[in-house]
Amino acid sequence: MSWQRIQAGMIAIGLLAAVTYLSLGGHMAQAAPPKPQPQTVNVPDVDPHKAFGQKSAPVVLEIFSDFQCPACRQYYVGTNRQLLDNYVNTGKVYLIHRDFPLPMHAYSRVAARYARAAALIGKFEKVEDALFQNQQQWDQTGDVDGIVASALTSAEMTKVRALVKNDPAKLDALIEKDVALGRTYNVSQTPTSIFHANGQTYPYGGGIDYQFLKQFLDQLIGQK
Amino acid sequence: MMQSSPLNFRRVFILVGRILLAGLFIYAGYAKIRMPTVPQRPPLGVALTFFAMQVDSYQLLPKAAVNVVAYSLPFAEIALGVLLLIGWQLRVWTSLLTLVMAGFFFGVLRAYLLHMEINCGCFGVPEKVTLLKVFEDGSLLVLMALMTVFVFLEARKPHPWTAPASA
Repeated sequence: MSWQRIQAGMIAIGLLAAVTYLSLGGHMAQAAPPKPQPQTVNVPDVDPHKAFGQKSAPVVLEIFSDFQCPACRQYYVGTNRQLLDNYVNTGKVYLIHRDFPLPMHAYSRVAARYARAAALIGKFEKVEDALFQNQQQWDQTGDVDGIVASALTSAEMTKVRALVKNDPAKLDALIEKDVALGRTYNVSQTPTSIFHANGQTYPYGGGIDYQFLKQFLDQLIGQK
Repeated sequence: MMQSSPLNFRRVFILVGRILLAGLFIYAGYAKIRMPTVPQRPPLGVALTFFAMQVDSYQLLPKAAVNVVAYSLPFAEIALGVLLLIGWQLRVWTSLLTLVMAGFFFGVLRAYLLHMEINCGCFGVPEKVTLLKVFEDGSLLVLMALMTVFVFLEARKPHPWTAPASA
């Protein structure tokens, strides 16, 4: 190998080191166990019935979701339970559900109305679970009402039906608020997760495996 | 006397391709670490674990390999871009980059054909995998492959600035 080639190699390594150094700027996150640091994030229009955890959590996570979207179901079934148990219920993450019904799905708007109505009577979690767990069923038949009815008591269902039938415009207005908010984040697909931590916002489109969500959340919580 | 012009089509193609693709790879690697949509530079751990979520979303790699790829790919892209720019051992690096680019193209094409609702993860910004993205990666793969072929062809010829062998 000629001396010129060795020199070129050394220049390459030097440039690489310089670029890497400039890129990193000594910002390696701490590998130490995460220490939750309370913070206040101004997230608008939070329906308390569709938000879980403590507002002062170090990470605020907004999930824009469509009840008829298969990837949203996968996210709910595969990730959401562990997220609730390990981060939301322990005060590390404040989780907010946002509606983002896509026009390509025939029944997602109807499902969002039922879920909103259920939220207004404090039964969102039950209805969300029923809609996602039985998505393949009502996705074919469009029988959202039947699925929601199977998750609620008859008294609760009467209230939900009344809201859906008598005041769909009110429910649509609430849904549209979420959709409008999503557009400010450039949401174009579901699920989309918007992470807020340390004054920064990280938008992520698509489903997330819990293992990798966990390591990302640990980094967000552990950063100084 | 020169044996051929230093500026034939192939050499211009290689030069332009090197500058273009080196810039693209360096930026792609840097963007994965810097995350352009985030106002302040995020800590490295945050950026790399964010990228790991994107790598995993392609569902191509075993879980154990996801972090290896996610934690090394941004730096590998920067390194390969710099090497391409310098032009040292071009045959090696253009061949390697063609393989890398083919891997990207395959991943994006597969995600598009399977209607996967995922982000590309190419430049650290939320970008849906669309047909346009498939064409974009396909074009870059063609450019990279052509450049590699031209590099090999040019390497077989004497360098235009080489002094002729004395009789």
